[in-house]
Formats: sequence, C-alpha cells, structure tokens
Amino acid sequence: MSLQAVLPDTISGLLGLEGVLGDVVGGLVGAFLVANIMLIMTAFAGPWAKRKITAAFGDRIAVNRIGPFGLLTIVTDAVRLLSKELIVPEGVDRPAWDLAPMVIPFSALLGFAVIPMGNGIQLADPETGLAFAFAAASIASLGIVMTGYASNNKFSLIGALRAVAANIAYEIPLVITAASVVIFAGSLRMSEIVAVQAEPLLSVAGVTIPTWFAFVNPFAFALFVIANLAEVGRNPFDIPEAPTEIVAGYQTEYSSVYFVLIYLGEFIHIFLGGAIAATLFLGGPAGPVLPGFVWFTIKIWAFFLFTQWARSAVPRLRVDQFLEIGWKGMLVLSFANLVLTAIIVGVIA
Amino acid sequence: MSLEEQQSDEPAELESGVSRGDELADLLGDLVVGREEHMNAPGLVIRPDEVQDALFKLRDEAGFDHLSCVTAQEYEDRYESIYHLTKFDDRTDEVSVVVPTSKDNPVSQSAEPVFRTADWHEREAYDLVGIQYEDHPDLRRILLPDTWQGHPLGLDYDQDRPQIATLREHANPLEEDHRAAGDSNTMYINIGPHHPATHGVLHVETVVDGEQVVDLDADIGYLHRCEEQMCQQGTYRHQIMPYPDRWDYISAGLLNEWAYARTAEDLADIDVPEYAQIIRTMGAELCRIASHMIALGTFALDVYGDFTAIFMYAMRDREIVQNILEDLTGQRMMFNYFRLGGVVWDLPEPREEFFEKVRDFLDGLPQALEEYHDMITSNEILQARTVGTGVLPPEVAKSYGATGPVARGSGIDYDLRRDDSYGYYDELDWDVVVEDGCDNFSRLLVRMREVEESAKIIQQCVDLLEDWPEDERNIQANVPRTLKPEEDTEIYRAVEGAKGELGIYIRADGTDKPARFKIRSPCFSNLQTLPEMSEGEYIPDMIASLGSLDIVLGEVDR
Repeated sequence: MSLQAVLPDTISGLLGLEGVLGDVVGGLVGAFLVANIMLIMTAFAGPWAKRKITAAFGDRIAVNRIGPFGLLTIVTDAVRLLSKELIVPEGVDRPAWDLAPMVIPFSALLGFAVIPMGNGIQLADPETGLAFAFAAASIASLGIVMTGYASNNKFSLIGALRAVAANIAYEIPLVITAASVVIFAGSLRMSEIVAVQAEPLLSVAGVTIPTWFAFVNPFAFALFVIANLAEVGRNPFDIPEAPTEIVAGYQTEYSSVYFVLIYLGEFIHIFLGGAIAATLFLGGPAGPVLPGFVWFTIKIWAFFLFTQWARSAVPRLRVDQFLEIGWKGMLVLSFANLVLTAIIVGVIA
Repeated sequence: MSLEEQQSDEPAELESGVSRGDELADLLGDLVVGREEHMNAPGLVIRPDEVQDALFKLRDEAGFDHLSCVTAQEYEDRYESIYHLTKFDDRTDEVSVVVPTSKDNPVSQSAEPVFRTADWHEREAYDLVGIQYEDHPDLRRILLPDTWQGHPLGLDYDQDRPQIATLREHANPLEEDHRAAGDSNTMYINIGPHHPATHGVLHVETVVDGEQVVDLDADIGYLHRCEEQMCQQGTYRHQIMPYPDRWDYISAGLLNEWAYARTAEDLADIDVPEYAQIIRTMGAELCRIASHMIALGTFALDVYGDFTAIFMYAMRDREIVQNILEDLTGQRMMFNYFRLGGVVWDLPEPREEFFEKVRDFLDGLPQALEEYHDMITSNEILQARTVGTGVLPPEVAKSYGATGPVARGSGIDYDLRRDDSYGYYDELDWDVVVEDGCDNFSRLLVRMREVEESAKIIQQCVDLLEDWPEDERNIQANVPRTLKPEEDTEIYRAVEGAKGELGIYIRADGTDKPARFKIRSPCFSNLQTLPEMSEGEYIPDMIASLGSLDIVLGEVDR
C-alpha cells in the first residue's frame, strides 16, 4: 500500500530477481546501502565535523594538517583508533561487555530501516513505522545498561543508571509528542506522515508553505526537539556521560574498537533523532529544487549541528534537575499538547 | 568555653604606653609563661597543655578570629609550634602564640577545637616536623605517604635513608569493594588522582549514597616538591626568588614572588623605590587577571562538562595578558621578575608600544567581560546549577581560614591589598569586591568583578608609569650582595595572592639562608572547606564546588 516502491523492491527489480531470492538479495543490498550511507555520514561527523564545529564555536581552528580542510584526519583517526590496544579490565562480565558495543550502534542503525530518505531510499514501510523507529532506538538503552553493569566500574554503573533514568523520563514525552503528529496524519506509516505534510498550508506572495507539522504545531516541535536532545544525551542533558563528574560514564572502561563502536552508536543515534524529527515535523525529504535525499541529509545535519551548538554553549543540568524537568515539565506539557491536538483535530475534522 | 561572655572591642584599641603584647599578656594572665618579639607581632609563649584555653580566650575575648598559619619547627633544644593569629576585621592586629614542647615528648594540645583550619595545618606540622597534637581528630600524615619514615624538616632527619615501602603496605584501593563500615547502602568512589575535574593530581575519597555525597576526604600531597626545604637551602638574595613561581604556577607567579619579596624586604629592612612598586603592582594585577581567567574557564569546564566556547574565550583573553607578561618579564610562566628591593629590569623598550599593548587589552576587557556575563552568569541553567549550591557560611569560612575570592564570596570583606596594604595599592583607587551569596555563583561573580577592579588598578599604574620622569626610574634599591639578618629574628608576612592570603614565615639564624621557611598556601586552607560545602549535596555540585575553590595543587602540596 506504500506510495512509493521501497528500496529492496527497486533493487530486485533492477537486478531482475523475483520471489524469495529477490526479497533476500534486495533486502540485503538495500540494508548494506543504507547502513553505509549512515556510516559515511558518521565518519564525517565524528572525527572531522564535530571538531570543526566545536572549534568554530570556541574560536579555534581544529584539524587542518592532513588533507584539504583536514579531511584526511578521518582516515588517520580510523587507523589510529583501530590500531590501539583493546584493554579488557579484570572482572568484566565478558559476554555482556563484548556485546554492548555492538548493541548500541545496531539499535540506531535499525531505526533507519523505516526512515524515508527521499528518492525512494527507504528499506521498509510498515504500517507501524513510527512505533518501530522508537522501539529500535530504545534498544540502545539496553546496550548502555549492559556496558554499565558489565564494566565492573563504579563510574560506569552510575552512568548507566543515569542513562536509564534519563531514558524513562524523556522517552515518554518524546513518544507522546510524536503521537500528536500521528493524530494529524492519521497514520503511523512513515511515508504517509511525509505525504500529509506535502499539502500546502498557505500561500504567501507566491511562495507556498507546506503543512510541515513544525509549522502547524511549533509547540510540539519544540517539545520534540528538547526531548530528542535528552534522548541522544547531549548538553544540557549530557547526564549519562558527564565527563567532569563521572569520568566518561558508562563508556569509561572501553578502549580501541569497542570505544569506536560505542561512539559510532552515539553519532548514529543523533542522526536517527534528527531523521525522526525531520520525518515527523519537517516534511521528511521534501524541499524545493534539490533532490529529496539532499534535503534529508541537510535536515539531519542541521539537527547534528544543533546538538553541537548546545554542547558548546549550554551548561549541563544536575541529574535531579534533569529528571525534574522530564517528569514535572516535559511529561505534563506533552500530554497537554496531545489532548489539545486531539480536541482541535476532532473539532475540525 | 566559646559560650563565655564576649567582651567589648576595647582590647583592640591601643592605650598609649602599653604595648599590644602587654595587653594581650594581661588578658591571658597566668597562661603566658614567656614573651617573644616577632617582627610582625608580639609573641606569647604558652604551655603545650593550655593551647586551647589561650586560643579560646584570644578568639572570644580579643577578637582574633583568623588562624592564618601554623608554623612548626625544631630547635636544638625544643620543638615549637607557632599559631599566627590575626583578625578578619583588622589584619594589622596580629599575635603569635608560641608553643614550645620538649624534645623527648613533643606533644602539644591541638588547636582544632578552636579553629577548624588547624586540622590540616597541624597534620602538616606532624608530617614534616614531627610534633604530636593531642586531641586532634585525625592526626595522620598529609603530604607524605603513610609509610614514610621520619619527619623531613626535623633536625635529625636522615635524607639518605632509603624509603622502602612494600606495595603491601600501601592500601590498595582496588583490593576490596570499599564501603563505609557497616553500611551497605553507600558506595566508595575514588575521584582522582586521575579524574577530569580535579585540576591536577588531587584524590578525593568519596562515599556516595546514590548520587549524594555522604562523606569525603581530600587526599593531597601528590605534587609535594619540598618547596619549604628548598627555600631553606637557598640564599635570601637570589636563590629563593625563582621558587615562588612554582607554587601557584597558573599565571600567578608575580603575586607569589611578591609574598617572598615582601617578607624578606621587611626582614632585611629594605625599602623599595616607588617606581618599582608601581611596576610590581601592575605586574601582579596582570597575573591576577590571568589567574582569574583560568579560574573562570575551568569552573565553566566543570559545570558545562566540556571544553566549551567559554573556556576557549577565557583562554583567548588570558593569552593577551600572557603576552604582556612575556614582554615585561621575558617569561610566560616562571617569571622570576622580582628582586629584593625592586624588579630585575625596567619596562620593555619601546615603552610606548608596551603601554599601547596594555591599553588595548584594557580597552577590550569590558567587552570580553560582557560576553562572559552573557554566556555564563545570565544563563539560567548555570544559575540553577550554581545559585544555592556549595554553600559556605561566613562563620565556617572564617573558622577554616578561607581567604581570597572564596572568603569574599561568603561576604567576608577581607583583602590584604587594602587591609594590610603593601606595594602601591593604598595610593590607587579601587574597591574590594564582596558578594554575600556564599555559594558557587558568588565565588564566580567575585572573580569576574575582581578582574574589572584589577583592570582599574593597571590603568592607573600605566598612567603613572607613562608620566614618570626619565631620570627617576629607579627599579632597584641598593641591597647588599649578601643578606644576613640577625639571629632569631622571626617574621610572618602575607600578600593577597590570586587565591587568597599567601603568607611566608621566615626565621633567620644569622647566616645567609633561612633557618625555617614556611609557606602559608591559600589553596591549602581553602581546599579544607570542601567537605563543608559538599556533604549532603549531589556529586555534580561537589565537582562545581571544587571548581569554584580554584585550587592549584602545586600550591596546596608545595
């Protein structure tokens, strides 16, 4: 019932394969493509863009020695991080300690399966797409809990406990706010949510403004972005890592490849947060002139830039203040938003 | 004893003909068994088992509420502890309580019940000199490891004796899952010595209940470099001056040098030319700005959690000060610019260029500070984090001997530049900054406002220096090549360092080297207040409080 053929179908169509074989090959090739798109973006974001952005905020220059604009730092950093010794502390709970660095990036990548990235790049478009994206993103918390208890380190444990507390406090407002969009769109299917936002809202001097839900309900958008910031754990909600307080939180004991994997997971998580926000509130891949995928990339990078801006300029909240805002502020506001939206939609429709 | 009726302020007023020493001796009556005369204050000799009585009396009846320093030393025939008392309200009113103890039984009563700050000071005296303090709550070594053999500043200490301590003798923090005894709800955490927020090698042994700090104990000494002993082995004239740069090494070098310069100049009766005093004042205030910039940046680092924009902005502006100081002294960190009787050389030529550089910095400063206020103090999250956290009430701060911005952030109007003026400060127009919030935010504000005051001072110094007649630019007084102050002259003098009252005690023995050189580090006393500010608070607040104390471990450990 999807509006557009999903990526695996397109691929199997191109290859001329049909039936089960076509599904398997198309699915694998599509997943490989989507995962690599995200990994490449993360490669740019982690070792290079993040440094450049925070340096620009802090009046510095940052990496500029290797390659044009220091871009080849990405390569040297990859080599450096992969060639470091993987230090396994005594007393870690082995299977869990090894699995956690895989669970964290996996969960974030899994979420991208249902995100429409424009130009037909979407792995699957189930009816429960939005619910799937949230569910997949939440698996990361499981990974963090595993790192926390398996590391046999008190700072890790505190970090993991904080992460769980943060997750419970902010996941609910996040999902409730998203539900208000679902009321507008009348569907959980990602492609339909995007399609609904393509309709014109109003026309000013020849420029048509579409019904992006960020325009229709800016309040919900603000709530969603804040909850999302907490969800991906960036300032002012940098609680689970909190370098000056609990060293590096749940990732204190990780080094080398495992550290890279956890870090990777965090960055993909930021992008996933941006992707969900873009899909729900910013018309997904929609935009004038440029192709959809480019617009999609711009939107998720804008969210990434936003997180880095917050990181450079906003102090971190204390853990109790953080939970207070979550339970006493965000939760109440998100429910109010949901009820109001329901009433308004009910009256108009 | 503290409940005794308070007398009026009468003793503070000197009657003509009666010296301050006589007056205080009268007050203490039979407690005084002898008299001494120190260059800065009268000395009252007290029996070792009556220390608390004497100190209580001096505190409650004569108003000596500031135990600035405790000096311990060993003579051929006795041990001696000196309690350098003064007042927060009147810094020039000083008295030294001298407590001799016998060689074979060096036990003296602790002053801790009177002044909380005596806790660490007496531990240091025990550690380095070997005097035992009765009634002390926790008499352990403080700077040296627990396994150390002997007391290094004692006379019979054998420097060549190998300090063999097997690994087994050191408590291994990983050995057991530390918990407070008999309490399974708490968790023991080692914050430091390698931790992002300890500003050096500080080890805070913390017991937490969930996220709340139940108990903490700062373990210091990792950066102990025997500075006192090194100074005792150097000659007054030239060999000591380079060391102060290495105490508070975060840009405060000239302020530290001034502490030694002031003490030694008073000891040897050297007058400093006015022109040199103005250069000193300007240089010292530049150091204060640089030091406060670092304090601001690292405090933001502790609260923000990363090397964020504000940290870099503070570093950027500090860099300008560093360049000016480099022009002036030839060094960025270890200035060694002061000499007894003046400074080593005049302002750099061409002078106009130097003045212009300083003026450019001063002109740009208000804008930079406004930027900081926009980013830090007016940020609501930062206010939520700092206002009302790390509270240090003024009485507690006084009892712990907190000085500098920490004391002034607790509403204590105390600044040695004004209260015990030296250099050129009393000729200039500036204000002492006091905030009475007593919390982390107040201490932050005090530092930011002090930068403005320092800028005012520098401005006036530059004006004076620019118009100074060329033939009167006298940068050094005539000082003999070798200084040999008379035997048994003792002096304790302090200056307002970047972190607070930086004092030095010197006892001369007739040679060209001090017999005892004691450093009163402001950070050492300030750090002692950390448990008061943090117990019962959350871990993040403890970290913020530690940041707001602005300690430098080089000065804490010396």
